[in-house]
Amino acid sequence: MNFIFTEENLIKIEALKLRYPSPQALCLPCLWMAQHQEGYISINAIDAISETLGIAPMEVYRVATFYTMFHLEPQEKLNVQVCKTLSCKLCGSDAILEHLKNKEVNIIHTECLGSCGTAPVMQINDTFYENLTPEKVDAILKELL
Amino acid sequence: MREMIDIIVDSKTYKAQNGSLLIDLLIREKIKVPYFCYHESLGADGNCRMCMVEIEGQKRPQIACDTLIKPNMQVRSNSENICKVRTDILELELINHPVDCPTCDQAGECSLQDFYMDYGLHNTKITIQEKVKHAKHVDLGSNVMLDQERCVLCARCTRFTDKITHTHELGIIGRGDEAKVSTMPGRKLDNPYAMNVVDLCPVGALTSKDFRFHQRVWFLQTSNSVCHGCAKGCNIYIDHNKMKYQDDVIYRFRPRRNDAVNGFFICDEGRLSYKDLQENRQESILLYEEETQENKALQELKNLIENYKEKITLIVDANLFTDEIEALVAFAKSISATLYSPLEIYKDENFKDDMLKSANRAANYKTIENLNINTTLPTKNALVINFNHPLDFEADVQINFTTHKRGKNRLTFPIAAFSENAGHLTNEDSIMQECQKAVFKNNPAPTIVEWLQKVRS
Ligand code: SF4
Ligand code: SF4
Ligand code: FES
Ligand code: FES
Repeated sequence: MNFIFTEENLIKIEALKLRYPSPQALCLPCLWMAQHQEGYISINAIDAISETLGIAPMEVYRVATFYTMFHLEPQEKLNVQVCKTLSCKLCGSDAILEHLKNKEVNIIHTECLGSCGTAPVMQINDTFYENLTPEKVDAILKELL
Repeated sequence: MREMIDIIVDSKTYKAQNGSLLIDLLIREKIKVPYFCYHESLGADGNCRMCMVEIEGQKRPQIACDTLIKPNMQVRSNSENICKVRTDILELELINHPVDCPTCDQAGECSLQDFYMDYGLHNTKITIQEKVKHAKHVDLGSNVMLDQERCVLCARCTRFTDKITHTHELGIIGRGDEAKVSTMPGRKLDNPYAMNVVDLCPVGALTSKDFRFHQRVWFLQTSNSVCHGCAKGCNIYIDHNKMKYQDDVIYRFRPRRNDAVNGFFICDEGRLSYKDLQENRQESILLYEEETQENKALQELKNLIENYKEKITLIVDANLFTDEIEALVAFAKSISATLYSPLEIYKDENFKDDMLKSANRAANYKTIENLNINTTLPTKNALVINFNHPLDFEADVQINFTTHKRGKNRLTFPIAAFSENAGHLTNEDSIMQECQKAVFKNNPAPTIVEWLQKVRS
């Protein structure tokens, strides 16, 4: 299946081109757009990025594999990133993790998400969920699943 | 030209260009310094950290591959401290390296092995039970096999496809101990120079499907030669071995550095052309397709030359050595024969590219031109004596001196191939080059010069 950037994304890319000194620098924003568009980054999307930026597909692929936040496979389960660093730990991230264990989600342990004041914290896609309790987690997942 | 200055390495003074790379000086002066990632054809990458040296006035060791030579520089390449640093880096490198040497094709020409013998020789302090596992047999394409566990991530192979061939097939993907060399999923390493990455790889991570497991490298004899694949005349090593009770066999061609001709590389087609020297070879003397004695065949040849006086055409292959072509010019004169070397047949525009490959697929056509030999097709032929030219000719009688088996003819004499003979070639840029005699067959076919002596006597 071919990958085509949406009209809106293409406009964004053109605008970004003016901001950076080299096309390589646009690799990351383009990968984000592709991931948002399809939920993951397909090889077709990598080819499309390489064509848009005029750099080799391998250059894009290297970057995509370097960062764990880019998914190169379709994601079957919801990715839940749970902070396991100090503040969250003290405020009960263990209980959150324990609670998530029985859910149909993919748990990813992350370092400090930079939101210690509202610990414990988890992130799903681009959204932070703060001041978590097991009950709150249930409500959030009910909404999303 | 930059100014020449003095620098001191290990209390000896050397002349070097101001601002040139320190590692180039160390390599040129054969001062021992270990390195994986630097390569003269690829430049510095600074990723392996093996090339550390101490520089007076600098607190920490510096990598020689990224250090520019400055006036009054004082370098220590083998102090106790620097050797310790190398041992430590090597130890990191070896944490996950498999103990494959006994089954690894690179053993014997492996930088990691060599550096371990020079700077390692330590008992490992690492007690992990499980080393990181990666794929061990990845077929990258173009005859190149990858063992991801043996890779030291020097990125020479990926830089080759980025900077030299500009085909970008290879890359290092992932990170940390998950990092590995790979192609894009479902795609192959596919360019006409791909197998050079096998020579570039300092360890046994990239091996040649064509060569691996056929011969241990320490058994190989190496001779200097020149590829006969086209008129570029890339310089090569012929690696061959004569095992007990067997014949001398060529196992591989490798590129031999010559900055005026091929630089560091050769094309894959040329590299694999050694096979042609060992296949379908004409070994016996044939008279009317029957094996015959040498003296009987020579007598027949002399009779024919006598009978066809003034009506003899000699055809010369444009791949023969200059020495042979000159001998044939003299021979043609002595029997009043006309000499031809039709060159059109060697033209192959599809083969040509802008790296090394030439559209002229005759290694010594320049000599044919220099000697003013007729390069058109001969028209009237009574007796044709063909010295290994690929074409066959309409003639009353054709006699062949040939390396390889070919169609029915009155007389056929086997001759030595270039690997079994020594001589000179002039490439398309008029550079004269020398080939050593590499292969010594149990039953060697005479060279053309030897045959001509026999005919004369
Ligand atoms: S790459 Fe070198 S050190 Fe590694 S297994 Fe092969 S020979 Fe041994
Ligand atoms: S495969 Fe060889 S050349 Fe390529 S990065 Fe690994 S060690 Fe270096
Ligand atoms: S420790 Fe969890 S957000 Fe900072
Ligand atoms: S050769 Fe200098 S860092 Fe690798």
